[in-house]
Amino acid sequence: MSKMVQIENLYAQIGEKKILKGLNLELEEGKVHVIMGPNGAGKSTLSKAIVGHYDVEITEGTIRYKGEDITNEEPETRALKGVFLSFQNPVEIPGVSNAYFLRTAVNAKRKFEGKEELNAAEFLRKARELANELGMKTELLNRSLNEGFSGGEKKRNETLQMLLLEPDFIILDEIDSGLDIDALKAVSEGINKLNDGKRTFLIITHYSRILDYVKPDYVHVLKDGQIVKTAGAELVEKLEAEGYAALGES
Amino acid sequence: MEERTLKEILQNHAPKLPLPTKKSEPYRYFDIEKLLGRQCKWTKAQKTAPKQGKSLEITDGVLTRIPQNVEVTFSEERELFSEHFDPLYFVSHALSQEVITLEFKTDTVLNIEHKFEEKGALRAYRLVFKVAPNVSVKIIERFVECGSQESVVLQGFDLFVGRDARVEIIKEQTLGNDAYVPIHSNFIKVEKQASVKLFTFDFGDGSGLELVDAHIGEEAQVVAKHLLFAKSSAKRGTVSRLIHDAKGARSEQVAKNILQDGARGIFDALIEITHNGAGAKAHQNSSAVLLNDGAYMASKPQLVINIDDVEASHGSTIGELDEDQLFYLRSRGIVYEEAKKMLILAFANEIIDDVSDKAVVEAIHLAFERAYYGEGQLECIATCHNCEDMVLGER
Repeated sequence: MSKMVQIENLYAQIGEKKILKGLNLELEEGKVHVIMGPNGAGKSTLSKAIVGHYDVEITEGTIRYKGEDITNEEPETRALKGVFLSFQNPVEIPGVSNAYFLRTAVNAKRKFEGKEELNAAEFLRKARELANELGMKTELLNRSLNEGFSGGEKKRNETLQMLLLEPDFIILDEIDSGLDIDALKAVSEGINKLNDGKRTFLIITHYSRILDYVKPDYVHVLKDGQIVKTAGAELVEKLEAEGYAALGES
Repeated sequence: MEERTLKEILQNHAPKLPLPTKKSEPYRYFDIEKLLGRQCKWTKAQKTAPKQGKSLEITDGVLTRIPQNVEVTFSEERELFSEHFDPLYFVSHALSQEVITLEFKTDTVLNIEHKFEEKGALRAYRLVFKVAPNVSVKIIERFVECGSQESVVLQGFDLFVGRDARVEIIKEQTLGNDAYVPIHSNFIKVEKQASVKLFTFDFGDGSGLELVDAHIGEEAQVVAKHLLFAKSSAKRGTVSRLIHDAKGARSEQVAKNILQDGARGIFDALIEITHNGAGAKAHQNSSAVLLNDGAYMASKPQLVINIDDVEASHGSTIGELDEDQLFYLRSRGIVYEEAKKMLILAFANEIIDDVSDKAVVEAIHLAFERAYYGEGQLECIATCHNCEDMVLGER
């Protein structure tokens, strides 16, 4: 099985605080990987490091995506190449229409891939269809980006972006937080729709709730800036039952 | 024809009137002494018989077109507000030979186009708008360079709004660097339960100032919203005084300023609630985005409150674009420059989209984007964010 992502000996810090400390992680093409870990372990820092967030300074190590070193790439370049992060707390941008933003992003990617850009009508048809599938009110397309959206609406909007952009490597940072059961099911269906055996998912979560709907192939435990254990889906149940402390003895 | 410095011309033709200096409060952040030192030609405007037109057209201070439904009179007599804070308000009155008075007795929508053709000239002219009680009036004013170079324009309106009347004035002015420097000095008097909305859209790389002295009557309202996008070495902005001198008067003032290169934005705004202003509601806010290190914002929101029973607030923020918002857009594959433009347009849209007339909204979007992208680079209007159909051009 080929590797979609290879992270080697990654050291990263936010400000003066060293968070990732020689992290190694390989993610296989077409597989669902889950990262679990206690608060402060570095889960969100890892996702930010992968997408090139300005907060995170990488001091050592490399991130390879499809064999290419993207450690120092601009965030937009990583996105255009197919890396996508669903944010834990998506920002609100008053004055930028959601539809205009989505269409700009979709067409930027299509242009990058050498495809013809979608016109307004084609785009809206597609966006409305996907929004309906997600149980998302289509009026949210005409509102300012995330402005006044509920927590569930924001997560649905993140999922809509994922479906429209069709990325190859998808990082879902706490996608299940703040979702009621209906929203959780809708978001999970969106994820499963893209889970076609070619794309790679990295699900970052505290709890196993979403894993009732999206079946993981691998579970990694991140603790104190390093991956301390990798196993199959059965590890989730063990962690649920015994907590992260149990890993100390394993 | 008389060619001297602006200061000499003004001293010659309005000898009894004081001129502003760099210490004058309304011009503290504006380069008034440099403007007064500018060489100008001064001639009396040559009046011609105006033609009929769809909009009211004023070329170099002379009325050249009048729409059929508008009543216009000319008068040397004028109703001056003797306590106006701006010295150039009186000077512009003194230099304009007559005032152009428009009386609105029925609901009216009026487009006014101010054109400037002269080179190195001083032009002064005044308009008076008289709005009858219970009447609704919308005035859209555009200021257009038509070959003017290094001129100075002293201009403005006196607006008298009758009881229960509603007025919306939308001013759009894109200034080139060397075209002309406008000093718009206005006076507004709003009678009981009437309302005035004043939108000013100031774009471009030329300097200019908008001065407003407004008196708000009992349970009347003034909403003043300003959008400034200034670049190069422009010094541009608003100086205002809104006075609540009767019970239950309301005012809302919002300024958004986008400053690029070495531009200086000015927001020097006072809201005063007198002893007669019980029950006043007054809110004032200015925010500025500085696009680079050389840009500067002089922001001075002020409240003077002489009575207890009021609701009032003011605030001012100056900063750069929000990094999290920029990153979010970039993380979706939108390149940095494009993401930056989207955020700037969004900031501007918060004022533009408040204009009630959607056709005017689109025209102002276009003017803003032309000013932002530069002439010739604009290929689309892409920000009609309420537009269900997303009828957008292609960039």
